[in-house]
Amino acid sequence: MFQVKADVISKEEISPGVFNLTLISPEISRSARPGQFVHVLCGDQNDRFLLRRPFSIHRVVPGRAFEILFQVVGSGTDELSRVKIHDALDVIGPLGNGFKYSPEIKSALLLAGGLGVAPLLFLAEELTENHVMFYAMLGAKTKTELLRYIDFKRLAKKTFAATEDGSFGHDGTVVALLNRTVHQLRPQVIYACGPEKMLQKISETAEDFGIDCQVSVEAKMACGIGACLGCTYATKRGFRLTCKDGPVFNGRDIMWGGSDVEQLPLDGYDYETAEITDSD
Amino acid sequence: MSVNLSVTLAGIKLKNPVMPASGTFGAGREFSEFFDVGRLGAIVAKTVTLKPREGNMPPRICETTSGMLNSIGLQNEGLEYFLKHDLPYMRKFKIPIIVNIAGNTLEEYAQICRDLKGIEGVSAIELNISCPNIKAGGIAFGASSRLAEQVTAAARYNTDLPLIVKLTPNVYNISKIARAVVSAGADAVSLINTLVGMSIDINTFKPQLANYTGGLSGPAIKPVAVRMVWEVAQTVNVPIIGIGGIMTAEDAIEFFLAGATAVAIGTANFINPTAMIDIINGIERFLSERGLTDIRQLVGKVRL
Ligand SMILES: Cc1cc2nc3c(=O)[nH]c(=O)nc-3n(C[C@H](O)[C@H](O)[C@H](O)COP(=O)(O)OP(=O)(O)OC[C@H]3O[C@@H](n4cnc5c(N)ncnc54)[C@H](O)[C@@H]3O)c2cc1C
Ligand SMILES: Cc1cc2nc3c(=O)[nH]c(=O)nc-3n(C[C@H](O)[C@H](O)[C@H](O)COP(=O)(O)O)c2cc1C
Ligand code: FES
Repeated sequence: MFQVKADVISKEEISPGVFNLTLISPEISRSARPGQFVHVLCGDQNDRFLLRRPFSIHRVVPGRAFEILFQVVGSGTDELSRVKIHDALDVIGPLGNGFKYSPEIKSALLLAGGLGVAPLLFLAEELTENHVMFYAMLGAKTKTELLRYIDFKRLAKKTFAATEDGSFGHDGTVVALLNRTVHQLRPQVIYACGPEKMLQKISETAEDFGIDCQVSVEAKMACGIGACLGCTYATKRGFRLTCKDGPVFNGRDIMWGGSDVEQLPLDGYDYETAEITDSD
Repeated sequence: MSVNLSVTLAGIKLKNPVMPASGTFGAGREFSEFFDVGRLGAIVAKTVTLKPREGNMPPRICETTSGMLNSIGLQNEGLEYFLKHDLPYMRKFKIPIIVNIAGNTLEEYAQICRDLKGIEGVSAIELNISCPNIKAGGIAFGASSRLAEQVTAAARYNTDLPLIVKLTPNVYNISKIARAVVSAGADAVSLINTLVGMSIDINTFKPQLANYTGGLSGPAIKPVAVRMVWEVAQTVNVPIIGIGGIMTAEDAIEFFLAGATAVAIGTANFINPTAMIDIINGIERFLSERGLTDIRQLVGKVRL
């Protein structure tokens, strides 16, 4: 991982409130793997004291630059949307464990909900380079919110789209589309990114069909490098750090809804200490 | 003109007065990718407990105005693992190692102190006394001067290592607690730990943390921390490690003026992994710009 001051060389609002930034960093672009992320100080002053914000690496310009794709949802992303070309952003990366794939894979399916296209476009480009055949399925609420459709169409064997209002492609959710088509496509592996509920349903379908399923999840982060233990995700093998062990996990391992406090035994302060005699 | 940044703290010599705050630096592995950890005055390990602890349920952190809340819940692999894996790693940096410990009973604190006896590389023990004493109805050791005194005495009885006691700010009168731990044998005190806080998501009506409440850290707590360091400096004559919201060298200078001999940096490490190096360089610059030659010329020099 590197800490760099990365110059912004392009900025584009590809859809209302959704921005694509290209940042110069030979170091990060050389070592980045699909599914990894960068931890960004939003704005060049940070005088309001904001923690860094994590963003997937959306694409790399080999050996030179990388891109992020983000939606304005709050103060950090709002600040980030105001950067100007030639501003420099303080970026740490590449971070985390990305998607696993091997050139032996016969067919893959990339499934994105909304901004979930962010890490998957990088993966699509890598798979193409490695001659791995894949399908893509993109979902959004409306046609305007459907992102990167043309890019996936260029790379994938077949690209499906689903919109919840039926304004483009299949009418309904991408999960419904998956359930209707999975037995025909029969991918060996599914790669997915999007809202947690969507990832849960995709993982369940994948498990039903015995398909390997890798999902990229989100958690609030402070350090982004594995030091603060703040970004834990509940898995069937115990707590894992989203920033260091993830953000890509096997769908089968995740305790879906594990962050609902009632579902797991609370491991609070009164830990295995009852019998020890106190010298009090 | 060269500037002397070295200080002596509880009998340990530090080449400069800047160290990480426990729990924000792990064992230094991640940060060693960003800078030479050996440049720090000391390394303070994450709180270790006798047995492994899984920590609290997620979500564990949330950002607040000029600060953050955390409810990590002292997640750690336990003392045995620490001694086998983390301590040997930290020894590589060749700087003093301060081991921060916690327990839920006096006996646990005492046991860890005994287990640290004669272990190579441990320069001092820091007691995290912000944990609830389960035998005293869950009230934090650090919240009562009687409990604080007892836990310090239990540790003191079981170790010859320099003993630092880390005070919690969630008390009415921190000077009283400081006096109690010093009378029980603390060689130094560090303050402050986090302030208990809460944040609620107004869209879902749910608390932001699964644990409902958490510890507030970052710039938001700095004025509270400076005040407490200043008060404690009036009360006891042991060295103080000032902690709380230090982001820059200027922030650190405030703590020295209030009476701290050294400072520890927490949340700032998350925003800028090289923050501590910038702070060391900044302190040096601050002194030389003013024709000062020794960091000790600042300690406690607030003009009232
Ligand atoms: C590994 C990882 C990769 C990510 N990649 C991308 C990406 O490529 N593009 C992108 O647009 N976003 C991505 N995100 C989410 C992005 O980090 C958040 O949108 C951002 O931190 C919000 O910051 P803010 O200050 O604008 O919003 P805040 O003011 O912090 O929050 C505004 C709203 O967004 C919600 N929110 C904030 N952070 C998250 C989060 N991490 N997950 C879910 N909801 C959140 C809050 O609950 C709140 O309702 C990623 C997150 C992670 C963990
Ligand atoms: C994520 C996080 C974890 C922490 N873990 C510990 C810990 O294990 N032991 C401890 O004594 N203090 C712990 N603290 C408290 C810090 O050491 C420090 O006292 C506090 O954060 C105030 O300093 P700051 O404002 O510079 O962060 C933690 C703080 C944070 C933010
Ligand atoms: S964000 Fe700090 S450990 Fe993951």
